[in-house]
Amino acid sequence: MIHGGNVRAPDEELALHYAREFYGRRQESHRLWVVPREAIVELDDPDLLQPPFDRSFKRPGGYIIKHKLEAAKARAAQGGDGS
Amino acid sequence: MTDLELAPATRDALAELLLTLADDEFVLGFWDSEWTGIAPMLEEDVAMSSVSQDEIGHARAWYELLASLTDDDADRLAFGRAADEYRHAALMNHARTDWAFTVARRYLYEQADAVRLDALTRSTFGPIAELAGKMRREETYHLLHFDVWLRRLAEGGDDARGRLVDALRRLWPDAQAVFAPLAGESELVSSGALPERLAELRARWHEHVQAGLAAVGLPALPDAPVADEGRARRTEEFGWLHGQFTMVARSEEAATW
Repeated sequence: MIHGGNVRAPDEELALHYAREFYGRRQESHRLWVVPREAIVELDDPDLLQPPFDRSFKRPGGYIIKHKLEAAKARAAQGGDGS
Repeated sequence: MTDLELAPATRDALAELLLTLADDEFVLGFWDSEWTGIAPMLEEDVAMSSVSQDEIGHARAWYELLASLTDDDADRLAFGRAADEYRHAALMNHARTDWAFTVARRYLYEQADAVRLDALTRSTFGPIAELAGKMRREETYHLLHFDVWLRRLAEGGDDARGRLVDALRRLWPDAQAVFAPLAGESELVSSGALPERLAELRARWHEHVQAGLAAVGLPALPDAPVADEGRARRTEEFGWLHGQFTMVARSEEAATW
């Protein structure tokens, strides 16, 4: 579920119609979910979303395996046992 | 039935029907595209412009089918005729006027178009049945949209409701022309290209409209006759619109678009 955008409408029915026109009229959508603003529960606490410590290890990019992989390939090519 | 097997009388009758279908959608699409930039709110501005474009798209499909039957050109049919050669229903002779007027016209037309397309999906002429089936899928949303607006205006206080009721009454007689008899109608019905007579479709449309109005507490519309010339009579207002929508094509007639 990706946030497509906002519409302003006086009721749910027109909100759906306008969502269809704004985010679906060029066949770019397969489904649309429309909720009123007041139904949105928000989480914006920076301590929860942007904590101060380095978090790079939580991303796949945090591990550089390129050199390890090259070394393993070289060992395999030499018929080494990896020890 | 394919176009290769068509007798000349059937072909003429089909051409007449297709021209009415195309011109209804084309002229309504142009009138309502005038709301672009000035609709009651931004969202409706986009919606109305989009719905109007849909109608132009439907008109294009009908004009192309017509052009293939009569060895003509869709652009010439759309932009190359004199104002008095158009065959849209008298409902589309009126200028845009105010929002209630536009909603009233769209509501009456969308209900009529739904009945008409529903019948045409059963046409024995394959290309018409196929196009009608596709269009009905888009028109379902149009009807929903203007049904919502009808209710909003009906329940929107004295001013909105009064304007809506006045517009419905003013447009109702000319709306009958959507089902005005066609010269080749008997031919169309006997061949099955038009599965029911237009008078039968008109009666069904009346039921749908009256039920729709009653559902939102609007008064029933009085009996109105269908005028035989309902698709031939043109107005100064339409003459103005015709001047607008043919302006670019007329500016350079030899141009290739």
